[in-house]
Amino acid sequence: MSGFFFVEPEVYRRYKDQVLELSNSVQINVQEHLPREHRRRGLSDREIAERLGLEERVVREIRVVAERDRYGLDEWQKAIEFKDRACRAYAKEGASYVFEGRRKR
Amino acid sequence: MGEQSERTNRIKDVGRAAGALVVGVAAVDAFNEFVPEGHRPADLLPGAQSVVVAGNLGPTAGAWRCPDHRVMEINGYDFRENVAIHVMCDFIEREYGYQAIQAASLPTAGHQAPMSMMLAAVLAGLGTRSLAANIILHPEYGMLYYAAALTTLPLDADHVLEKDVCPAPPCVQMFRKLGTTPCLASCPKDDGGCLEGEIGPDGRIAYSYYDRERCTARSQNFGTSGLQKGLLDILNEEDPERRRAMIYSDFFTQSVSSACFYKESVAQCFECMRVCPVGRTYKRLT
Amino acid sequence: MTTESAKVRNRRDETFDPAVAKDELRKEALRGGAAVCGVADAAAFTAAPEGCRPEDLLPRARTVVVMGGAAPRAGDWRSPLHEHQESMGTSERINSLGLKLAKLIEDRLGFYALFVPPGVNKGNRPFLSVQYAAELAGCGSPSLAGPLLHKQYGMLYYAAIITTFPFPVDGRSTEQVCPAPSCVDMWQREGTTPCLRVCPVDAGGCLGGEVVEGGFRNRRYDAARCTSRVYTHWIPGFQKSLEAALEEKDPERRKMILYGSFFTRTLWSMTYSAQSQAQCYECIRVCPVGTERDKL
Repeated sequence: MSGFFFVEPEVYRRYKDQVLELSNSVQINVQEHLPREHRRRGLSDREIAERLGLEERVVREIRVVAERDRYGLDEWQKAIEFKDRACRAYAKEGASYVFEGRRKR
Repeated sequence: MGEQSERTNRIKDVGRAAGALVVGVAAVDAFNEFVPEGHRPADLLPGAQSVVVAGNLGPTAGAWRCPDHRVMEINGYDFRENVAIHVMCDFIEREYGYQAIQAASLPTAGHQAPMSMMLAAVLAGLGTRSLAANIILHPEYGMLYYAAALTTLPLDADHVLEKDVCPAPPCVQMFRKLGTTPCLASCPKDDGGCLEGEIGPDGRIAYSYYDRERCTARSQNFGTSGLQKGLLDILNEEDPERRRAMIYSDFFTQSVSSACFYKESVAQCFECMRVCPVGRTYKRLT
Repeated sequence: MTTESAKVRNRRDETFDPAVAKDELRKEALRGGAAVCGVADAAAFTAAPEGCRPEDLLPRARTVVVMGGAAPRAGDWRSPLHEHQESMGTSERINSLGLKLAKLIEDRLGFYALFVPPGVNKGNRPFLSVQYAAELAGCGSPSLAGPLLHKQYGMLYYAAIITTFPFPVDGRSTEQVCPAPSCVDMWQREGTTPCLRVCPVDAGGCLGGEVVEGGFRNRRYDAARCTSRVYTHWIPGFQKSLEAALEEKDPERRKMILYGSFFTRTLWSMTYSAQSQAQCYECIRVCPVGTERDKL
């Protein structure tokens, strides 16, 4: 063993989707102006732990690993390409570049 | 003007003289509705009465014009508002004899920081949350970077802005015509991006969606996250030649560099803000 | 740099009164945020190993200017969140002041000035012990817990400038502030002091020693254990967890290590190193010296 705390892969696999969903990973309707009944916030590690019946530090480990594991390394490479494309397009055309080919949904 | 108002104004003046573009004060109780226990001001400083928030611009107008995204990746954020916070903290303890600390805002558990600077900015009346990655927009300056001080000194709290900064009127019109806004169109969820949203009939945000982990791949492209992703692949690679190529790759080299220079480690994607009309005059010189 | 200051820089001003120069430099230091400023004799570093003395870094060094400040604030000590002080280390502020004053010495006085880098040299050794320099400059006295203690301010962060300018020397303070009277009382009653109780070397901690006749002796300090606490999430933690990841044969478990909170936090600390060193303050938190901070 390494000597520091980390969760076993099997525990991680079992809970990662639930933990990530309950956390601040995907943020929907967090704006403060929204009525309380429509506003959502991510739960803290402690709150998730209470809900799932796990230790807080286990939830923390699962959440932290899952945050990094959510997308593959190829997403980081795509990010470089996205930014290069967007930045150059703006330099050339201004903000209008985002509306090329857009139609009302 | 009462004593409390006078010292509130004095502290704000100190903050602005130290380099903050904007300074506001939030009441500590205001946080309770929005964040869980453990992440409220009094959890960091027992007896905290006020949260002083300083904000500052990031990239210069010239930087926004650069067609090479890498430029702003390494100089888009210089943390100046943190200096103003330190100066105000020293001032509060020295002049008034009350406790003051800089609110810990660096992540200490994954992405989780002990306290949200964005929420502090909203509650201090310095902006409202936008469709673009929930970034807080100041009505005049648009995107600012924020830092906060917690203090046991009672101060006059500012009010949350009554009028939403986002969506801006041009964005409302755009949404009505095209079903999208500049920021949503620059990074749409249904095209591999981070954002989705809707503006209601009242011209306010009715629905917003933000994929933080995808955004991390873009806004912290190089640094902690890129280093971890790259390192795992390197350690798992059995072929020594391929492993060598990965270690010396441009991607891994830039990741290590960003892990060494903190200014390079965050704020590495500005595309939703680049097209945002709020604070547009500060992104160009006329 | 202006033409005038360039002239000064190239012409050593031998007529400058060292006492006046010292007074002006001290005022600049205090104006810049230092709490204390003192001067040590460059020849006094006899206890420092060869290679780590002022003249090893700056030939013909005559004095070492030391400034102390940037200590945690009263509020910092009160936070119950250990992550707060872990991520809010303030030593960077005194270092930037040190660099500024080194340039001032050269620009105004025309003498060489070398700001001692806060990092480490080969073999993980400091270029010069800044704490030793602070002691020799009269900025404080040694403690059982380890940090130098100033009688009024307690623990401070220090920056040092080695210079060829002959500032008047302050020399060592004659006042030993550790152990404090309350610590002497505690030793007589309980055979320990606050710092020794919080972190006892014989019970998994870092500190040991005895209080004798108002002083202390037989100090024991487990530097390796202290490193695991002061630099939990920094280079040593990075090396340890990297080793664990390399040793781990199972790729899934390896992912748990590399994406886990310990390694993630360690990478953040390495990135924000100016804010993420000095990650344990527990011996000083309970120290009664310099408790101005507790009066707020």
